[in-house]
Amino acid sequence: MKKDTIILGVIGSDCHSVGNKILELVFSSEGFHVVNLGVMVSQQEFVNAAIETNAKAILVSSLYGHGEIDCQGFRDLCIEKGLDQIILYVGGNLVVGKKPFSVVEEKFKKMGFDRVFPPDVDLKKVAELLRQDIKEKFGQEAAAEEKQPDASPKKHSAAN
Amino acid sequence: MIKNEKIDQKEFLEIRKEVLKTWPTGQKVSIEEGIRYHRTLPEEKRFSLAMLKAQKSRKTLLQPRAGVALIDDHIKLLRYLETEGEADLLPTTIDAYTRQNRYEEAEKGIEKSKQAGTSMLNGFPAVNYGVEGCRRVVESVSRPVQVRHGTPDARLLAEITLAAGFTSFEGGGISYNIPYAKRVPVEKSLRDWQYVDRLVGIYEENGVRINREPFGPLTGTLVPPCISIAVGIIEGLLAIKQGVKSITLGYGQGGNIIQDVAAISALRELAEEYFRQEGYDDIELTTVFHQWMGGFPEDEAKAFSVIALGAIVARLSGAEKVIVKSPHEAMGIPTKEANAQGLRATRQAISMVEDQVILKPEDLKTEVDLIKAEVRCLMNKVYELGHGDVAAGTVAAFEAGVLDIPFAPSLYNHGKIIPMRDNEGFIRIFNKGNLPLSEEIMAYHRQRLQERAQAEGRAISFEMVTDDIYAISKGKLVGRPR
Repeated sequence: MKKDTIILGVIGSDCHSVGNKILELVFSSEGFHVVNLGVMVSQQEFVNAAIETNAKAILVSSLYGHGEIDCQGFRDLCIEKGLDQIILYVGGNLVVGKKPFSVVEEKFKKMGFDRVFPPDVDLKKVAELLRQDIKEKFGQEAAAEEKQPDASPKKHSAAN
Repeated sequence: MIKNEKIDQKEFLEIRKEVLKTWPTGQKVSIEEGIRYHRTLPEEKRFSLAMLKAQKSRKTLLQPRAGVALIDDHIKLLRYLETEGEADLLPTTIDAYTRQNRYEEAEKGIEKSKQAGTSMLNGFPAVNYGVEGCRRVVESVSRPVQVRHGTPDARLLAEITLAAGFTSFEGGGISYNIPYAKRVPVEKSLRDWQYVDRLVGIYEENGVRINREPFGPLTGTLVPPCISIAVGIIEGLLAIKQGVKSITLGYGQGGNIIQDVAAISALRELAEEYFRQEGYDDIELTTVFHQWMGGFPEDEAKAFSVIALGAIVARLSGAEKVIVKSPHEAMGIPTKEANAQGLRATRQAISMVEDQVILKPEDLKTEVDLIKAEVRCLMNKVYELGHGDVAAGTVAAFEAGVLDIPFAPSLYNHGKIIPMRDNEGFIRIFNKGNLPLSEEIMAYHRQRLQERAQAEGRAISFEMVTDDIYAISKGKLVGRPR
C-alpha cells in the first residue's frame, strides 16, 4: 500500500529542532511518508511543499510562543492555493504564557486547524488520529489511487 | 578566509555604517555618547564588577530569563524579579523575530501586543525601541542588566543595547548560530560576532568594561561536556582577540552530578590554559551554570525539584552565576510570579549548600581528566585545520564535522554524533561522527553505554536517545524502558 505523505515543520522564526527530529522519526516508523522541512518554515513553504508532494496533511509545530501570530491566515492560504482538503494539525507551546489548554485549542481551531495538541501529547496517538482523519477525508480518493498504484509515484519523491 | 585577527578601525567603521542603516533606530546610535553614559553608571549596575565580586567572595549569583513586548510591562517584570525574586543580576531576553533580524515583524508584534493588552512576543524587541527605549529599562532598575538572546547577526542589537547602558552581552559566533539558525554559514556568524566583540573592545579601550558570555548549553539536549567546553573556549579566544576582558563561560546542566561539577572544573582550568597559551593573562574569567535546559515536568511541584537540583549542583561546582528556570518551563514562557518562584526556590537550595564544601577537582579526577582529554582532542584538530588560527579552524571544523552539535537546526552542522546516557546518567557518546576523539576515549564511552544496555536488557539503540530526551519531563534522569 502506498504511504500517505505528510509535511512536518516548525513555523516562523522558531528554531526548536529537537522535537522536530523526533516527530520525523516517530511518524516515519508509523508508516507515513514524511517530508520534513525542519525549523523556521514560512506558511508559503509549508503550502508549496504540500502541493509539490501531494500531501494529505501538514503538521505545524511551534514552541517559542509566537505561534498565534505565525499561524494566522494559514487555512486561508491553503484554500487560496487549492489545498481545499488538506488536514492541518498544530502542536507545541503555542502561545506566550501558561494558559488553559482548552483556551488555546479553541483559538487555533477557530483559525482553521483540525486538531490542536499540547507539547506532551503521545505521538503514537496523534499518528492514530491522523490515520483516521486521512481515511475520513480522503477515503474514496485514496482507494481510487490504490487501484492505479503507479499513477504518480514520482510526485512523492519531489521534496526529498 | 576568516582569521582570528583584530578588526582594524577603518574596516570596523565601514561595516558599522551599513549595520546602522538596517533599521531606522540605528541612525541614533553613538558609541561616544554610550561611553559617556556608562561612565555615569554606579558600581552596582556594572555586570563585570558583580561577577568579579562573586568570584572573590565565592558567591553564586542568581539570574532569571525574562522579556516581554512592551517597555512598561518589561520594566514592571524586571522590577518584580528584582524585588519579589531577589535576582542578583537581571536579563533582557530578546524576542525571536529580532533574533532573526526581522524588525518589521517585531514591529507588528509590538502593535498586536498593544491591542491584546498582553505580550504577543517571546521577548523584548530592543532594536525597535532603540537606544532611548532601552535606556529607560536600564534606568528603571538598580542591578546590572544583560542582553540575552540567540541572534546569529547581533551587530545592530549590540550597538543599540550597549549604547543604552546594558553592561553584559550574551552569545557568540558558534553558540548563537548552530543551535539558533538554519541557513547561516559559520564563517558569516563568526565575522559578525568578531564585530560585536570589537565593539565591546572599543568600549573597553575607553574604560568601560562590558561582560561577554558565550552561550554554553547549545541545544540543551544531551550535549557532551567536551563539545560545549570546546565551543566556549573558542568563542572566548575570539572575543579576547577583539579586546574583550571580562568573560563568563557557560555550561548547561547535564543531569549527572559528578559529570556536571567535573565539567565546570574542566571548563575553568582549560579556558585559563588556552587563554594563557595565546598570550593573555589579564582576563577576568568566570563561569555560569544553566539549570536544566531540556524538557521539564509539567507538574510544578516536580519542576521545582528539577530547579532545586540545578541550584545545588551550580553551587557545588563553584560557578559564579546560575541561570534560573521557572515552574512554568514545560508550558513555555512563565508569568512574573512563576519566574520569581524559580528564583526563590533556587535561593533556598543554594543557601543550604553554600557553606558546605565546593566539590574539588580531585574528588572527580576521572571525569575531569576524561573531559580535558576530550576537549584537547577537539581543540588540537581545530588548530590543525586552521593552521594555527582558531577562527579559520572553526569554520573548517564544522565543515568536516570535527565540531558537531547534537540536535542543532543548522544546515552547517553535521548532526552525526549520537549521545546518550550511561547507566548512571552520565552523557556519553555512542556514535562520534567525525569528532576527533581517540580510540581509547571512545572505548571508555562504549563500555559505559554497554553497562546500561546490559542493565536494561536491550541493545544500544536510537530509542534510548528519545527515551533520554523525555526522561526528566517524565520524572527520571535515565530513559529506561517501561
